[in-house]
Amino acid sequence: MTQATITIENKTGIHARPASIFVQTATKFKSKVQIQAKGKTVDAKSILMIMSMGLVKGTEITIIADGPDEAEAVKALKDLVASKFGEE
Amino acid sequence: MAEKIRGKGVISGIAMGKIMLAGQNLDGYLVSYKPEDKETEKKKAADALVAVAENLRESIERLQKQDMAEQAAIMEAHRMMVQDPMMAENIANKVEELGNAPLGVLKAAEEQAIQFEQMDDEYFAARAVDLRDVGKRIAKYILGVKEPEIGDEKVILCGEEIEPSVIAGMPTDNIAGVLLGSGSTTCHAVIIAKARAIPTIVGLNKEGRIKKISDGDHVIIDGELGVVVINPSDEERASYQERIRKQEELAAHYAELKELPAITTDGVKVDLVANIGTHMDVDNALNYGAEGVGLFRSEFVFMGRQDIPTEEDQFKAYKEAIEKCDGKLCVIRTMDIGGDKPLPYLNIPHEDNPFLGYRALRISLQRRDLFLPQLKAILRAGVYGKAAIMFPMVINVSEFKKAKEFVEEAKVELAHEGKKYADNVQVGIMVETPSAAVMTPVLAKYADFFSIGTNDLVQYTLAVDRGNANISYLYNHFNPSVLRLIKRTIESAREHGKWAGMCGEMASDPRAAVLLVAMGINELSMSAPSIPRVKEMIRSISSIKAKEILSDVMKMEDGDEIKSYLQKVL
Repeated sequence: MTQATITIENKTGIHARPASIFVQTATKFKSKVQIQAKGKTVDAKSILMIMSMGLVKGTEITIIADGPDEAEAVKALKDLVASKFGEE
Repeated sequence: MAEKIRGKGVISGIAMGKIMLAGQNLDGYLVSYKPEDKETEKKKAADALVAVAENLRESIERLQKQDMAEQAAIMEAHRMMVQDPMMAENIANKVEELGNAPLGVLKAAEEQAIQFEQMDDEYFAARAVDLRDVGKRIAKYILGVKEPEIGDEKVILCGEEIEPSVIAGMPTDNIAGVLLGSGSTTCHAVIIAKARAIPTIVGLNKEGRIKKISDGDHVIIDGELGVVVINPSDEERASYQERIRKQEELAAHYAELKELPAITTDGVKVDLVANIGTHMDVDNALNYGAEGVGLFRSEFVFMGRQDIPTEEDQFKAYKEAIEKCDGKLCVIRTMDIGGDKPLPYLNIPHEDNPFLGYRALRISLQRRDLFLPQLKAILRAGVYGKAAIMFPMVINVSEFKKAKEFVEEAKVELAHEGKKYADNVQVGIMVETPSAAVMTPVLAKYADFFSIGTNDLVQYTLAVDRGNANISYLYNHFNPSVLRLIKRTIESAREHGKWAGMCGEMASDPRAAVLLVAMGINELSMSAPSIPRVKEMIRSISSIKAKEILSDVMKMEDGDEIKSYLQKVL
């Protein structure tokens, strides 16, 4: 299992467009990927679950992956959040 | 057996084609659906998810190939919802509970949608609409209701109401006609259809007439008389074929006019240009001989989507239209959105009187996050041709000055960001409020041009709602009060060496064109199919004769008197 913790920095948080990019990225990997935030753990490959968490700017999230490509998955998702999803 | 129904014809022309229903109601299908045992129902639902995801993937690919990125993005969001593990689980639970696959799917989607709506966030509210749409799509698959697919055959779109984005997103060649249950003559679906000369009939919901039309029916529609012939006989087909032939002859006659200028017999030239809603309308406009675009309704760039279009999205849309104008002027009107055409993501509160409310420039001036990206996008797109910016709903000088400051600010930001932009973009006013028309002698000092928006100018001047059938007899652009405001506006522009145009319905009235030419108008902008008619009228008259008629008209005391006088002499 690999995990990393990061704070969401982009203005709109993870909903709508960012959520869809996040899920698209997560589903590229074979590993089981989860997000932990606000005391809840959800499937990172479900756009509905991610959106329902209300991940606004400043929320700290932990990305947890378990499987053959777990390290790559965590790195890709962490980089994506760090890049602020290409927003300003 | 052929059946005829009638509505109100709003865009003339005869069309034949196959009905494609938009906005289907599934209640009837659900009632007659016979569920099997629970395990089979659950399997049906699961299979439907896979199949629908695959269908969506195919349409996304097709949309991307056709360069319709926005539509593709919406479909992509839908595909992700269909493939969502949580969605699959909720559906399985609901089908288990209800023992009915399509009902379970719809309930699961509905519950999820309600959850989203309760989250008090505009994004989620918009997603709720998508979720319901997705649920309906999956249920339709299980029920065997075919998803309307655009093939090679021409379709006639039919629905109680049709989203403007549905029409905007389809290539003109594929839509033969539009039939609407409700819908006024000025609703947005109709405006788009008009720009593309698609025969259109509205008001078919009276006495449930529209229910007689089924998906896949072959129909003939007459957009002038408002007649729909459902599953016509061979004789009827033949007789309409004959009329289509005549229609084509007239089109050929108009085509001969295409390259000729709109010039009076004694040499006064007027630019005839087009009103458009999307860049896709420009080609069609040029085919009718448009010499540019006099009104690009930029709000269509804002509609049919879930969030504010970025500067980049807008830049692409404007650039495409400007490039297609090929060096001719393209006037882009900044967003004209208000309570009557709300956007979910703008959160405009309900208003009792949206036409006198928070709308158009009034919103833009308060929302830098909307206004600046739009102005920057237009200024950048201006590099690719000749662009102008036009502000709607101006009522006083200070609003216009403020708007111009925004333009300057947009330029400063672009310079900072190192982006190329056109510095010579003209900035003008859409004169559509009586106050602006009265103040044109002052406004002309600051504006590069005026374009008279008669749809609103007439309704505000006469205090007549253009959508209200009970008082539509009062709506008359030849009312002397309106004519005086128009004359004043044109004269104000000329005195200050500026140009004046018109971009409302009145510009497409050939008789009105005669008066406007006499007043000294420089440009008439209209839905493209009207250009040949107006051109023919202008080419048939001298400016001296036109001025005589104008002088008679300005002495008259009543709008109806003017109307019948013009019918007599022209």
